[in-house]
Amino acid sequence: VGINEQWGNGMGEGLSEFIRAQMKMGLLSDPRSRVQETLLWYQASLHITFSLSLSLSLSLSLSLSLSLSLSLAFCSQDIRNTVGNIPMEWYKDYPHIGYDLDGKKIFKPIRNKDELDEFLDKMENPDYWRTIHDKMTGTDVCLSDEQVDLVHRLQQGKFGDVNFNEYEPAIDFFSNEVMIHPVTNRPADKRSFIPSLIEKEKVGKLVHAIKMGWIKPRRPKETAPQYYDLWAKEDPNAILGRHKMHIPAPKMRLPGHEESYNPPPEYLLTDEERQVWEQQDPDERKLSFLPQKYLSLRAVPAFSRFIQERFERCLDLYLCPRQRKMRVNVNPEDLIPKLPRPRDLQPFPTLQSLVYHGHSSLIRSISISPSGQWLVSGSDDCTVRFWEVCTTRCLKTMEVGGPVKSVAWNPAPSISLVAVSYGENVILVNPGLGDRLICSATDQLISSYEEPEEVKDQQVQWAVPEGKAQEQGQRLILTHPKAVKQVSWHGRGDYLACVMPDDGSSLQVVIHQVSRRRTQNPFHRNKGAVQCVSFHPSRPYFLVATQRYVRVYNLIKQELTKKLMANCKWISSMAVHPGGDNVICGSYDCRLAWFDLDLSTKPYKVLRHHKKALRGVAYHKHYPLFASGSDDGTVIVCHGMVYNDLLQNPLIVPVKVLKGHIITHDLGVLDVAFHPTQPWVFSSGADGTVRLFT
Amino acid sequence: MSQLQARFFTDNKKYVIDDVPFSIPAVSEITDLSNVINKLLEGKNGDHKHVEFDFLVQGQFLRSSLATHLETENISTEEVVEIEYVEKYTAPQPEECIMHDDWISSVEADSEWILTGSYDKTARIWSLEGKAVATVAGHTDVVKGVAWVKRDGLSSLLLTASLDQTVLLWEWSSERNKLRARHCCRGHAGSVDTISVDPTRSKFCSGSWDKMLKIWSAVPTEEEEEEEEESNRPRKKQKTEQLGPTRTPLMTLSGHTEAVSSVLWMDTEELCSASWDHTIRLWDAETGSQKNMLTGSKVFNCISYSPLCHRLATGSTDRHVRLWDPRSKDGSLVLLSLTSHTGWVTAVRWSPSHEQQLISGSLDNLVKLWDTRSCKAPLYDLAAHEDKVLCADWTDCGLILSGGADNKLYTYRYSACLSDAGA
Repeated sequence: VGINEQWGNGMGEGLSEFIRAQMKMGLLSDPRSRVQETLLWYQASLHITFSLSLSLSLSLSLSLSLSLSLSLAFCSQDIRNTVGNIPMEWYKDYPHIGYDLDGKKIFKPIRNKDELDEFLDKMENPDYWRTIHDKMTGTDVCLSDEQVDLVHRLQQGKFGDVNFNEYEPAIDFFSNEVMIHPVTNRPADKRSFIPSLIEKEKVGKLVHAIKMGWIKPRRPKETAPQYYDLWAKEDPNAILGRHKMHIPAPKMRLPGHEESYNPPPEYLLTDEERQVWEQQDPDERKLSFLPQKYLSLRAVPAFSRFIQERFERCLDLYLCPRQRKMRVNVNPEDLIPKLPRPRDLQPFPTLQSLVYHGHSSLIRSISISPSGQWLVSGSDDCTVRFWEVCTTRCLKTMEVGGPVKSVAWNPAPSISLVAVSYGENVILVNPGLGDRLICSATDQLISSYEEPEEVKDQQVQWAVPEGKAQEQGQRLILTHPKAVKQVSWHGRGDYLACVMPDDGSSLQVVIHQVSRRRTQNPFHRNKGAVQCVSFHPSRPYFLVATQRYVRVYNLIKQELTKKLMANCKWISSMAVHPGGDNVICGSYDCRLAWFDLDLSTKPYKVLRHHKKALRGVAYHKHYPLFASGSDDGTVIVCHGMVYNDLLQNPLIVPVKVLKGHIITHDLGVLDVAFHPTQPWVFSSGADGTVRLFT
Repeated sequence: MSQLQARFFTDNKKYVIDDVPFSIPAVSEITDLSNVINKLLEGKNGDHKHVEFDFLVQGQFLRSSLATHLETENISTEEVVEIEYVEKYTAPQPEECIMHDDWISSVEADSEWILTGSYDKTARIWSLEGKAVATVAGHTDVVKGVAWVKRDGLSSLLLTASLDQTVLLWEWSSERNKLRARHCCRGHAGSVDTISVDPTRSKFCSGSWDKMLKIWSAVPTEEEEEEEEESNRPRKKQKTEQLGPTRTPLMTLSGHTEAVSSVLWMDTEELCSASWDHTIRLWDAETGSQKNMLTGSKVFNCISYSPLCHRLATGSTDRHVRLWDPRSKDGSLVLLSLTSHTGWVTAVRWSPSHEQQLISGSLDNLVKLWDTRSCKAPLYDLAAHEDKVLCADWTDCGLILSGGADNKLYTYRYSACLSDAGA
C-alpha cells in the first residue's frame, strides 16, 4: 500500500523516467505503440505487477499457473489476444475483446445467456464443472480429462509430468572411489604448474623477517622425552609422605617349644619354678602361660586367654605410636664457634705463684709501678703497703687516716708518685723506691712549686704534710668536699682525675694538675652517678663511666664524642686498651662488655663468665690479654687480640680461670692489675691478700 | 710379664759381681734389686756389709718398679736389660740453723766463712759452725747480693750489692775482726740484684734492675789509705767517706730489655747473664759484646754454670729447672727440664765436685738435690724451710747452704757416697 501511494504521488513528473527505466530493465519487449493505449497499458501492467508482487497467496499463484497453462493450450487454436494481461472490463463496452496477431479485432462471441440459462446449464450440463470462461477470448472452454488431471496434480503439489520420478536413486559422482575416467575431462589449469606469485611474495617476506631477526626460526625439538613429575608438588607431611616414616608393626614371636602341646621335658616347669611363676607379677613373667604336656593334640583344651591376648595385641598395635621421629643430629661441638686453643695463645697467667700477706682487711685497690718492680696496695685496714713483686717482701707500710679506696701509681717512668685516696683525701706519696735520682727529682718537682700571686678559691684544698707524714713519703694532701672513690692518672703523669660519686651532683669528677696544684671541675653537670673515669692512653679523651653509660669526652674540644651503652645495670669498673680503640667494662650484673670504639656504641662482645659481680677489669700493656676479677673469687684471663687491620674484629678467647682468693663477707676479688712487662696478673681480694698469677 | 732378664754392672771395683744375666721379677723395686746385689756380694766375699744401691737403666735412675719404668721409657723387655748400679747417694746431713733478723736474700760461703746478705740492710759473716762473726752494715737499703772477692790469709775482700743501687767493696781482717768499706760502686739506676766475681779475682760484674750489666775493678786502690790517714773532716762528710771513695764501672753491657736477675763468669773472658726478658746472654768480658743468646719462654730467676759438664742450669718463674748448653748456636734448645718444684725456682747451684748433681731452691719452701739422670724426681728434698727459699750455695768442701724468707740459713753436710765420706 505504501508503495502504491508513493507511486501515485510521483506519477506526474516521474512517468517518462519510469518508462525508460522499465524499458532498460527489459520488462517491455513489445515496442508497438499507440500512445494512448500504451499509456493505459503501462498503467495496467504496473498495477498488475505490483498486485502480483504484493499478494503471494497460494490461490493467486494457482490461477496464474492455470492461466499460463491455459494460454499454452490455446496456442494450438492460434487464437491469440494480444491485449495482454489487462482487466477485461476495459473492453466491456466494445464489441471486440482484443486483437489477434494480424491486428484484427477479435469479436466477442454472442452472449445471450442470462442467469437462468446459466443455472439450467449448471444443472444439466455434466461438463459444467470443467467448463471455464476464458476472459481473453470470452469463450467457454471445456477442459479435457488430461487437463483436469493436470490441475489436480498441481493442486496436490505434485510434479506435472506423470512419468517423472522424483525419487530416483542419486548417483554420487564425486565420491572417494577413483574412477578410471574423470568426471570432468577438464584439462589442468596452467596456474597449477606455474609457481604462485602470491606465495613467492609471502615467502620473501618471511625470509626477510628471519634475516632481520624479527622471526626466530623454530628451534630444534628436544629429543629427550619429557615426563611429568607426578610427585613434584607432593606435600611431605601429607598422609602419603608419612608412609615413608612408617614403621611396620613388630611381628609376634613365633611359637617355640614351650608352646608345644608336647614340649620337651626341659621346657616343663618344675614345681619350684611354677611357684615362682605364680608369685610373679603377670608383667614380670618370662612366659605368659605354663607349658603343659598333653597326651595328644585332641586333649589340648581351648586357650582361655585367647580373646584377651588378641585384644591386648590389638591395643598394642593401635596405641603404640610407630613413627620415626625426625631428629636433627647436630654435633653440639659444631655449634660452638671455632676458637683457637688456649694452648696456642700462650703466654698467659696459669698458676698462682705468689701471695702477698700482710693486710688485715680487704684490699680495695692495687697498682704496679711502671718498672714492674713494686706493687702498692690499699686496704680497709687504713694502710698502704709497698711490696717487692718478685719476693712478696713488704718494704714499706704507711698508715693513713681511713680505709683506702684507691691507689694509683703514676704511669710516667720519670716520676715516682703514688696517689692514695682515703675518705675525702687524696695523698700523693713518693715511695722512695726505684731509682734514687727519680725519687729526688720528684721531690724537687713538688717542692719547686711557687704560690701564684692571686690565689684562686678552689674547691679542693692542697696541703703539704709535715713531720712524720713527710718522712713517710707523703708529699701532698688534697682535701675534697666529698669522699673520693677512685683516682686515675693521665699517661704523662701530671694530671690526676678523682671520682666522688654522688648521683646528679655537679661535682663528681675533678682533674688535678700536680705541677701547678690546680684543680678543675670539667663538667658543670653530670648525668647519673659517676662510677669510674679514665684518661685515654693516646688521645685527649676522657672516659667517664656512669651506672649504665660510658661517655667519651674530648678534652680539647670540650664536647661529648661518644656515648657507649653498656647494656648492663651498673658498671663497676672500666679499662682502656693501650691501643686506645677498645674499652672493657665490668658490671655488677656479672657481665663484661667489650666495646670497639670504631665499631659501635654497643658492646662488641658481652662475656658472662663470672657468676657474681665483677669488681675489676684490666688490660695488659703489651700482651693481648685482659682480666676480670669478680665476687665469686676468681680472676678470668681472656686473650683479647686487637689487630692493626681495622677491618678485622678483635679476637676474644677466654683462656684461664684463676682461683685462689677466699671469699670473705661475700666479696672475692676486688681489683686486678697486670704486670707492665710480664704476662702476669695481680689480684687483690677481700681475704686481705694480693695474689700473683703467672 | 712376671720375670725379665737383667744384667748388672758397675764401675765401682769394690762392688763388681759376675757378668751373668739374672731373671728377676718385673715388679721388683730398688730395695728388692739392692737386696739381690747385696746377696750376691755376700756370696762372693763373706765380710761384705750391707750397702744401699741405686740403679740406672740406660742412664736414667730407677724410681718406680722395673716394669713401669721400662714401659714409660719404652725399653724392650724381650732382651736382657742392662742395669747399672751405684752406691746410693746419702742424704745431706743437716748441720746448722743460723737465725737472722730478717729474710736472707743471698748467701756465699767458702771453706771457712759464710757471708749472707739480708733484708735488714746488712750482710753478715758467720763461721761454718754458725757463730756470728761480723756484721757488714753500711747500705741504706736491702742487701740483695753478696760475694767473696779474695781471701788471702787474714784479710779478705767482700762485696755487697743492695737495693740502694750501690755495690760496696769491703775489706775484712778476720784476725782483728775489723771491717772497712774500701769502695762504693755507684752507677746503676736500679737495685743491684746480683754480683759475680771473675775467676782471677780482679774484676766483678753486677747486674741490676735497670737492665744493665756493669763490670768493675775489684782491686782496692791504695791511695785512699793515705787519704784515710788525714781524716780531719766535717762529720757529715766523714760518714759518707766511711763507705770509701766512689768507683765507676769499667764497662757497661747493655742489651737486656728487662731486669737482669743473675750474672756469672763462665771463665775469665766470658760472662753469662739471665734476665727477666726471657733470655740468657753470653758476653765477651773483654770487648763487652754479646756473643750468644739463649731464649726461653719464662722469666729467669737464677743461673748456674758447671765447668765439669759445661752446662747452664736456670731456674724460672715456672716450676722447672732447665739445663742449657751455652755453646749451642741455635739459641733456644733446652737439654733437660727437671720438674718437681711447685713454685718459682729462685736458686740453682751446680755441685762443684759432681758433674751430674745440682741443688735448687724454690718458693715452695723446698731445696731439692737433683741428679741429671733422674729428671722427674729429685734425689732428696730438703724440707727444712718454713717459708720461701731465696738463695742457695754449695761449697767446694761439700756444704750446702740455703736461706729464705723464714730468716733461717740451713747448712747441710753432703758427701756423695758413704764410702767416699771424708774423701
